[in-house]
Amino acid sequence: MLFDTTQLALERAIEGAGKRHEALAANLANANTPGYQRVDVDLHTALAAAVGRGEDTRSALGSLSFAPTRDNSAGATRADGSTVDVDAESAKLAANALEQQAAVQVAHARIGILKAAMGTGV
Amino acid sequence: MSLFGGLEISASGLTAERLRMDVSAENLANAQTTRGTDGQPYRRKEVILQETPGSFGASLSAAMGANKGTQGGGVQVAGVVQDTATPLKRVYDPGHPDADAQGYVSMPNVDTVTEMVDLISAQRAYEANVTAMQAAKQMFSRTLELLR
Repeated sequence: MLFDTTQLALERAIEGAGKRHEALAANLANANTPGYQRVDVDLHTALAAAVGRGEDTRSALGSLSFAPTRDNSAGATRADGSTVDVDAESAKLAANALEQQAAVQVAHARIGILKAAMGTGV
Repeated sequence: MSLFGGLEISASGLTAERLRMDVSAENLANAQTTRGTDGQPYRRKEVILQETPGSFGASLSAAMGANKGTQGGGVQVAGVVQDTATPLKRVYDPGHPDADAQGYVSMPNVDTVTEMVDLISAQRAYEANVTAMQAAKQMFSRTLELLR
């Protein structure tokens, strides 16, 4: 098999980061919506649970959905009942973008190794 | 397409914040207007924002219990309403053409400080959405580098 579970996990991580970006961007778009409850994608828990499945890792990774969920743990930070803190969301967004880029770079390097092995050069 | 969705969500935020800015500017411009479109003193306007319901697919899967989460679909403008709760300001100016029998003029209920605060908050929120858009763009172009 050309692509192993690590490569699959990286691809899913990139996809999940995209979904998480969507959720965080929605929070920022609703920064001034009264009573808005922030959404988030629990990317790390989902990926960690799938990767730790041993033999079933491949199918577990394939069935990850990265659905955004309402974050009810966050208390209201503002008088209008909104749970969005623009600074915290921006920080999460920046961290998420970096994580995505890290995953892309590792995936890129691994593809480069395959290319080298095939003799097509990097 | 995940990342294009992110761009659309940020774009909805940009549109909403720009409208808030426009409305605040309109309020400031009409801070002294004693004759609005209805002949009455101008009343300050407010933008009502609401969360955009998610896409059909997301709503369907949520209704079917596939996942508990609802897809955040950005923000939309529910309407622009007149602020009738704040009373009009009464200014004593007997020479004014719109003064009543006692010499008082009803001035718009626009408070310039409130409007300036709204303007700044809209501007900052706009910037936050631009940053999110830039991050999405960067993520997307990085992913494209996989092809090289």
